[in-house]
This record gives sequence, C-alpha cells and structure tokens, in this order.
Amino acid sequence: MIDLQDVSKLYGFGDATTLALDEVSLKIKEGEFVAIMGPSGCGKSTLMNIIGLLDRPTHGKYMLNGRHISRLNQNQAAKIRRDSVGFIFQSFNLLPKMTVLDNVALPLTYKGMTTARRLKTASNMLERVGMQQRESFLPSQLSGGQAQCAAIARALINNPKLIIADEPTGNLDSAGSRLVMELLSEVHKMGNTVLFVTHNPELTRYATRVVYMHDGTIIHDEKTKLGEVSPTARRLMYSVPVTTEDDDMAGVSALMTALPVKTSLNSKRKTGRSLGRAKKSKRTSNKDVIL
Amino acid sequence: MKTLAYGHIKTAIGSVRANKSRSFLTMLGIVVGVVSVVSIISIGEGVKSQIRSQINHYGRDLITVRPGAETAHGTFTDIKSLVNINHAGSLTSRDLLAVEHTQGVAYSVPLVIVGGSVNGGDHSPGSITVIGTTNRFASALNQKISFGANFDPANNAAPTAILGSRVAERMFDDPVPLGRSFTIRGEQFYVAGIFDDFATAPFSADVDFNNAVFIPYDTAQSISDNGASMYEILVEPRTSNHDDEMVNALTRNIAKARGGQHDFTVLTHAESASVTNDILSLLTALIGGVAAVSLLVGGIGIMNIMLVSVTERMHEIGIRKAVGATNRQILMQFVTEAAVLSLAGGILGIILAIIIDVILRLSTDLQPVTSWQIVLLALFVSMLVGVLFGSAPALKAARKDPINALRNE
Repeated sequence: MIDLQDVSKLYGFGDATTLALDEVSLKIKEGEFVAIMGPSGCGKSTLMNIIGLLDRPTHGKYMLNGRHISRLNQNQAAKIRRDSVGFIFQSFNLLPKMTVLDNVALPLTYKGMTTARRLKTASNMLERVGMQQRESFLPSQLSGGQAQCAAIARALINNPKLIIADEPTGNLDSAGSRLVMELLSEVHKMGNTVLFVTHNPELTRYATRVVYMHDGTIIHDEKTKLGEVSPTARRLMYSVPVTTEDDDMAGVSALMTALPVKTSLNSKRKTGRSLGRAKKSKRTSNKDVIL
Repeated sequence: MKTLAYGHIKTAIGSVRANKSRSFLTMLGIVVGVVSVVSIISIGEGVKSQIRSQINHYGRDLITVRPGAETAHGTFTDIKSLVNINHAGSLTSRDLLAVEHTQGVAYSVPLVIVGGSVNGGDHSPGSITVIGTTNRFASALNQKISFGANFDPANNAAPTAILGSRVAERMFDDPVPLGRSFTIRGEQFYVAGIFDDFATAPFSADVDFNNAVFIPYDTAQSISDNGASMYEILVEPRTSNHDDEMVNALTRNIAKARGGQHDFTVLTHAESASVTNDILSLLTALIGGVAAVSLLVGGIGIMNIMLVSVTERMHEIGIRKAVGATNRQILMQFVTEAAVLSLAGGILGIILAIIIDVILRLSTDLQPVTSWQIVLLALFVSMLVGVLFGSAPALKAARKDPINALRNE
C-alpha cells in the first residue's frame, strides 16, 4: 500500500539546512497497524506528513496504492487526502467555532455531499465512536479524550483505507489514551491500515509492527503480536533508569539515552542540529544499549 | 457545488458575526460609497423625472421664444438666459406681433417681467416675480385656477392679479384671499384668482410660477411705462406634429421683424427642458464618479481586513486542507467571505440611501427616485468590489502549503 524508496526531506537552505528524513525506505502493507517510535525531532511527524500527502519529499520516490505521489499537483493530492487518508493530530485540530457534528461532517463538504446527508453520515459516525450525545457541543466543551474521539470520527467519515495518527494520545490522560487506542484498534479490525506515532512503549501492544526512528532514519523495524508490548519497547521501558547526573544536566531524557543508535552516522548530516545529536549518540553508545 | 457554496456563505456569515465591530468598520467604506452613489443618482433621476412631468403637464406642443441666440447643440450662448431668466429680455411687442401673424399659430402668450416691489397683504412677501401676461396663459400651460377667475379678456388693463399658490400662502393669512388688495410699484391691485400648484422642477431654468404674481399684460405695460422686459413668448400651434415647420416659420418671421438678427431662440418645450436635463446628467455623472472613489477605498479596506483574517486563520486553512479542501475550495471560501462582507455593506448603504431619499422628499422640493435598477446595480457593484479586492487575500490562503498552514497556531 505504502512504498517509500530513499525518501529524504530537507528544510531550509544553505548553512541552515536541516535534514529531517534521510533516505528512508519503508513498505507498509494494507491492514497493518504500525507504531512509529523515536525521540522528539527524529522525523516521525515529517514521515507521517509525507505519507499523508500533507508534505512532499525533497528526494526519493513515494508510491501510495501504486500511484506515484511525487508527480501529483496540489489539488490531486488534496483529493487523495480527502478520499483515502484520515488524519488524527495530537492537538485534535477541530475547528473551534463549529459544532462537533459540523467538524465531523467537514470532509464530506469538500466532497459536495448535500447538507442533510452529510449531517446524517456524521451523526452515524459519532454514534460509532460513542459521541452522539455531544454532537451539538463546541470542541471547547469537550474533554481531551472526547475531542480526540470526535477527531477520529472526522478521520473515518470518508471511509479512508489509511489512518494516520500523529501522537493521538499525546495530550490525553491514561483513560483517554485507552479509549482512543481501543477505537483505533477497532478501526484496524475493520481492515484499515493504521499508522500512529507514539512516545509511550506501552501502546505498542495495539500494533502489529513497530518502527523505530532516530535522526531521520529508520533504525529498527519489527513485527509484534497484537496485545503484547514489543520486545524492543519493553527493553526501553525497563532500561530507563540508566541516567547520569550529566545527562540530567544536559536535559537528555532517559528514553532518549536508552534508545538504540544507528551504527554509522550518515556523512550527509552536517547541520548544527545533527551535530548536537551526534554528541548525544556518542554518549549513548557508551552505555552499550545496542539492540 | 451548491452545498459547498451554501457552506461557504454560512461560514462567511459566521465569520462576519464573530467580529461584528471589525466587520462593520470594514463595511463602512462600501456603505459610504453606496450611499453617496445611490443618493446622487436618485436625486438626479428624480429631478429629471420632475422635468419630464413638467413637460407632460405643460403639453408637448408648446413652443417657447426666448431672447438670446442658440448654438448648434441647443444650448444658449448667453449663459445668463439659462441661469437668471429675470435679466432684461430683448423680445419686443414687434416680435409678439410677428409671432401672432405666423401661419399655424393658434395663439401666443407674452410673459413680461415687471420690476419693483410688492407690498401690502398681511405679511411682507419677500422676493416675488411679477409677470405680465394674458388670460391665455393658463390654457397654454394647462394650468388650473383653483380659486377665483382668470383675467377678463374684455378688460386687459384691469388692476387684477392672480397669485401663485406660494405667494398666496406667504402674503395673506386667509386661506383664500380673494378680493384682498396689495400694491405693485405703488399701484393697487386686487386678488382675482389663485393658481393651482404649478409643476416645477428643481434646478429648472424656468421662473418659479408658484412664487409669482400674474397681472394683465396691458396693466404690466402701463405701470412700468412700457419698460417691462418680455423674457418669453409661449406659442400654442393650431395643429400638433408639425413642430419643426412651426419653429422654422416662427424663426423666419421673428428674424424679419428684428431686421435679420437671429438673437433669439425658438424651442419646443421638450427641447427647452432638455437643456436642463443635459446639464443635470453631466453633473450627476461627475459627482457620482467622485462618490465611486469611496467604493474603491472601501474595497481596499476589505482587502486589508481579509489579509488579516487569512493570517489569523492560517491554522484553520491547514485543517481544512488536511481533510481534503482543494486550493479552489479555499479560494472560494475567502472570496465568498469578502463578497458577503461587501454585499452586507451594499445593503446597508442602500437602506441608508432610501432613508436619505425620504428625508429629502419630506424636507425639500427634491423628489429623488431610487429605481430598482440603481439598487441592483449598487448591490452588484458592491459585491464585485468584494470579489475583486478579496481575491488577492483569498489567493494567498489558497496557495498556502497545508503543512505550513497547520503549523501556524
């Protein structure tokens, strides 16, 4: 379904160039439930945005359902986003002045559906995510979990084959997180492909595959059994305490230091940000947390 | 597409409502523009229609002879004869005779202005024009005498007067001051009749007959020692539809009487009114053009606010694009918003212009006519201004990269 070949993404130009994705190759089959993990700034969101057609790769080839995406113009990309991709964001991204029902019905508006049909479909979708009681509420009147459920309903309204969730539980408490993940799990069971970014190793138990990223590259990719935390993630969970006073002073999180590191740093990375990472990586390698 | 347009309009109204004071201030430019353009055109049209109704009332066949030569375009070379008809006229009783002897003339009516003050009555009447004319004056202009009687044709030198309706109101407390006396140049006159209201048109070159006192022609000549100036001769032809021939014949005869001089003008009544009409059209167009500049300023205001709105709502644009809005759909959303804003300004402007029209009708002689064509045109133009000036900000919104727009919190 998704086929990325040597996809790179550069931001800025000249001395200020930042390499967000570094020749990433990734294949995802239809019906997979993929968790993407990695420290902040490793390029997870950029990867999601490129897969979801919100952004374009600087180099490389991206095929979605056998279609060469890099050649599409903005309007063609918008139509694919509308019909084939559902987005779920960390900050919900619901329009604040619209009711929950109108928010959920929004993608159908751009499809040209009549108001009555649109609202009926949206109402049915809200019922499926257990939010029908709140369809006339404004987003500001909802809890985080409820808002994310509404966002999921919006993502599902066009029956897209691909659901992309960028840290969907990032702003939620544990109950809200569970609710959202159960919902995504339901969506997956219906035959959809789900990609989600998370920092929480515990949530990998919902996934069938976990991809680990670091500094714009994929450093590990493993299949997991549904209902079980991935072995790598489990190791991350329990090896966390290994921090030194220096690490704390430098503000490096336990999770980051515990993460695996790519054996050879890519020579193309020359930016300040990347150099900073290189120093951190050096420190981690001393701790021998190689997979 | 229909649902989408409805959605855009709903969003646009919501956005206008959400920022009421800002929207109102933005609209203000359009409101001022529409009010001024609509009011000025309405006043111009109103005056023209008053002139038309005056022509219809006086009769289309009536021919007027005035002093002052005419140019090829029908305008007077002597501008004074246009704006100040009370100046010393150069028509004489020989001209009158020439007119009367022209073939096809049913009758002619001389109009002479008598200088000097009018006194007596219950109140000082202020500035009043005294006109000497014959008893045929009323029938030439199809004018009714509401009270009293016309001049006695047998006694053309009687000291009687017929008052214009406004003069009667101003000079006397009696509602019908028939038989009351007053003086003109020291001579005593009696009120014999009171004219019904004359159909007048503002800015018209004609004397305001409602504000005039009419005395018999011979009396006028005698009290002014034959010094009264004849400023106009009204000619009623025997048959209609021969205006041009009649005008030519009159011109020939009068010129002969004046020794070949063409220092006078013979016009059908419609032509004489069209002079005023032409000047009015020009004035309306000029002032309307100046007022239209404020529409332009209003458009710039809309563009400014739409730019602010696009910047403020960049995140919203990002969300809409993420869920599948195409560039065109975003463009249409913001163009619709600008159009709704300017259309609302247009509607408000038209309402204000109608209120101004009503006030003018009640407090002045003007009778502005706001036709549905002007209203539709104003609405169309105001919407066009919105669409034109809203396009640039809308294009900015539409071209925004979805991911960059989403990052804009």
